[in-house]
Amino acid sequence: MRTLNRNITAAALITSVVLPFAVLIMWSFSTRWFYPQLWPEQWGLRAWHYVFNTAGTQIIAGLVQSMLVALATAGISVVLGVPAGRALGLYDFKAKDTISVILMLPVIVPPLCVAMGLHLWFIRLELAETFIGVVLVHLTFCLPYSVFVMWGVFSNYNPDYENQARSLGANSRQIITQVMLPLTLPGIVVAGLFSFLLSWSQYLSTLIIGGGRVTTLPILLFALMGSGDRPVAAAVSLVFVAPAFVALLFSARYLGGKSIAGVR
Amino acid sequence: MGELLLKNITIRYGGTPVIRDFNLEVNDGEMVALLGPSGTGKTTVLKAVAGLIRPHRGQIFIDGQPVNHLPPEKRSAVMVFQKSLLFPFLNVAQNIAFGLRMQGLPGRDARQKIQEIMELTELAGLQQRKVHELSGGQQQRVSLARALVLKPAILLLDEPLSNLDANLRQQMRELIQDIQAATRITTLFVTHDQAEALMISHRVGLLLDGRLRQVGEPRDLFYRPVDPAVARFFGGCNFIRGRIQDGHFHSEFATVPTSHPNGNGHLRTAAIRPEDVVITSESSHNLPGRVQKINFEGSTSRVWVQCQGNCFVVLTADADFAPGQKVGLQLPPEKIRIFPAEE
Repeated sequence: MRTLNRNITAAALITSVVLPFAVLIMWSFSTRWFYPQLWPEQWGLRAWHYVFNTAGTQIIAGLVQSMLVALATAGISVVLGVPAGRALGLYDFKAKDTISVILMLPVIVPPLCVAMGLHLWFIRLELAETFIGVVLVHLTFCLPYSVFVMWGVFSNYNPDYENQARSLGANSRQIITQVMLPLTLPGIVVAGLFSFLLSWSQYLSTLIIGGGRVTTLPILLFALMGSGDRPVAAAVSLVFVAPAFVALLFSARYLGGKSIAGVR
Repeated sequence: MGELLLKNITIRYGGTPVIRDFNLEVNDGEMVALLGPSGTGKTTVLKAVAGLIRPHRGQIFIDGQPVNHLPPEKRSAVMVFQKSLLFPFLNVAQNIAFGLRMQGLPGRDARQKIQEIMELTELAGLQQRKVHELSGGQQQRVSLARALVLKPAILLLDEPLSNLDANLRQQMRELIQDIQAATRITTLFVTHDQAEALMISHRVGLLLDGRLRQVGEPRDLFYRPVDPAVARFFGGCNFIRGRIQDGHFHSEFATVPTSHPNGNGHLRTAAIRPEDVVITSESSHNLPGRVQKINFEGSTSRVWVQCQGNCFVVLTADADFAPGQKVGLQLPPEKIRIFPAEE
């Protein structure tokens, strides 16, 4: 049974993660690869040369733009998600069910509708085609996730830790920085990571609200895909995946329930 | 210095009073146990003293100063919770240092104090341990040390022994007693275990249904309960009813001289502890009874005896009784406690 489980896990990992990546890597190193062939006819560094030299400045600009948007989104969504999750997880109040439905709405409603609807408003508020506008529209998708994650964290949170700290002489500020944040850090990292990755991969909403002015990496990627240059698109995709992958690696130890254990 | 005075405290949880008209004085250096069954609001009292709950009515004084308006962090009363609540992201020494760090005490002074307190609580050598590597007893000691290191005027302990197994409980109880004797820190501690309360504290306050029924030395509560409820709590479960006449309490089981002068003709309840009832297999000169049930408890046996419509529980060292056996009971008058007022 054990070995079977392991085999299934391995097979799932290979088909869902390794294979697509392998194809992507092959594409990025090919110069000629047409339909019936299983392997590229010609290998070469043309795509990578394009990514790092010809379009280098553009891609780095896109990378920086994406990073700024994703970091801002993740930051704001954690800063808002922690108190919201705390309120929902620790206190009982009437509108709790209603709030959870409202929070789910941006996730349920197709992103196109949300972005289109907000676009009109953002034009009026002069937020369209601005960095802030893009961050705000990303937040509509990221915030529910971080609130839900923190809600879960605070439902398993024992507020007596704070009472104990208070009795030991901690003031309100110290309780937040020395007790609550360290205790919920794993959850905060997960919420931040979710938001970061979600914002990082936003295309449609960035396109609509950013209007081509805010060129994040996905916008560039789609432009390159449209041009039909597969090897270049593959190379850019890999550049696009790398930071998200690194972020995931760094926060891997916070994923899973283990690190949250002991809070209660 | 550490004197605690609670005056007419009433605490409500959403309308319903949990604690009513609670008065208690804890003297400097004294160890007082607040005893009561679970759910009677013992912890609530501690939280009120610690400042974590605001009493609805009444006043709390620490060293003669009213503290009602002070937030918990400004009161020199530190509460140790029932669960050890050690911060999992800090090691043992850092946990103990928590309160000192909140006060902004410099590292060297803090280290010295932590060292001392760790020796006192028998934790020496565990400074760098992670919290989850500690045993239950060690965790409890760390949480105690974390409070003691602050040298509070009042130490509030909430069921400090309830999460430990029997052996460990014994050790921890002695440790708390020793530490209290050594530091003479004024301690108010909460427990539902009467043996624990009687053993460990200078005085005991019994809390039943949100009211403090009796405060006194352990012997007082045990041998001189003020009312049947207190007697019942301490296992004095043999009640007899009778009337006061001419300075005597008359009942079908015994006649006891009493000093209650103005109770003539009044119906009164009296109690005798199970271990004070004398049981013999000889029924001629005694109250005749019949054994209903017997529980062998090791050094003693608990015998239920039906006697003239009353059921007496008798604790005896003699295990040679059998259900259905005819026995004789003696109720020594000097052991019978007559309650001052009718229940």
